[in-house]
Amino acid sequence: MRRAFVYLAVAAAGVALGLGSALWLAGLWPAASKMAFGNVNVGGWRSDFTTGSEAADPYTRARVARHGLLALAKTEAVYFSRTDDDAGEPLREACSYRLSGGVMPAGWWSVTLYDAKSMLPANTDDALSVDAEQMGAGAWSAIIAPERPAGGGAWISSRGAGVFDLTLRLYMPKPALLAQPDAALVSPRIERLSCEGEQ
Amino acid sequence: MKRWIGPLAMFTICAVTAHGLTLVQAPGFIMARAMDALDARGVALHAFTAPQRITPQTQQVVRSSPDLYYALCRYDLSGPGTSLSVTMAEWPGYQSLSFFDARTDNFTTLRGTGRQIAVRLLPPGSSPQAGAIVSPSAKGVILIRRLAPDSARFAAAAKVGEGDACRVIG
Repeated sequence: MRRAFVYLAVAAAGVALGLGSALWLAGLWPAASKMAFGNVNVGGWRSDFTTGSEAADPYTRARVARHGLLALAKTEAVYFSRTDDDAGEPLREACSYRLSGGVMPAGWWSVTLYDAKSMLPANTDDALSVDAEQMGAGAWSAIIAPERPAGGGAWISSRGAGVFDLTLRLYMPKPALLAQPDAALVSPRIERLSCEGEQ
Repeated sequence: MKRWIGPLAMFTICAVTAHGLTLVQAPGFIMARAMDALDARGVALHAFTAPQRITPQTQQVVRSSPDLYYALCRYDLSGPGTSLSVTMAEWPGYQSLSFFDARTDNFTTLRGTGRQIAVRLLPPGSSPQAGAIVSPSAKGVILIRRLAPDSARFAAAAKVGEGDACRVIG
């Protein structure tokens, strides 16, 4: 009887460990797991070019199913995510940032802000992203902040976002980006300007 | 020491099995829940549902882009001989017609900038045919994306979307 109980206990412990480790490694648990993952890292912007395809490993598949459901395969679009600024600090609503970049190796691009649950932040500012048409050709920059910047210009609102991340979408990517992302993509910079409570 | 070999083996087998099963089942589980959620929010079976512009208040799927028009059609080809006729109407800007199976794989995407696309979707195991795509699973989702980053172009995309079709033909 005692031996049967021991077997039952270790089986339950094994299942718990297997379940928990799978959920953790796949970014499904705890809920606040970071989105930025993948085998491509260009200046802190991370992507997995197997997203949306059968070639993705089971961890990537599970993570994308949770955080990027209905994502396209790389020949149509690639997705880069960024969770921290250029100083390595997590992106958060209490701070303001300057996001800047240049020409992108794609037919169209956008940068969108998402909260820790991978949803658009619950605000009504109508300033959720910037895109190629809005920014024009060549160098561009936008302010990320919870309030509209006084000087005008492009703005992504972080109001109601808490700790957030950014997704860079590159539609109709150029072959060079898929072949050599490090060389083809000049990654957008994220400079922290100030934080609430700082002098 | 010897008496712990059995429990240790049991622990290892259970942990590895649970780990593997969780990973294998997760995409299908999440997709099934998403399909149920889309159903509950009015996304039709075998018809493209006219979308609202993506805002924090209308978003239904994680990481939706506020710059795109999304039209969704859920499908279920489990009935004998069931297939679909799918049409993406002509739109002057970027648009794509993408197909996702029950395990979240994007098994086909057709880009249709400036032109209409019409294709048939066949159930799993069908023989390949010209002008047709074979779905790896009986259930899935078809998604039209149109570049529409402002309200005027979203309204225009919605007008064009009246010509989209996702209907059973068998």
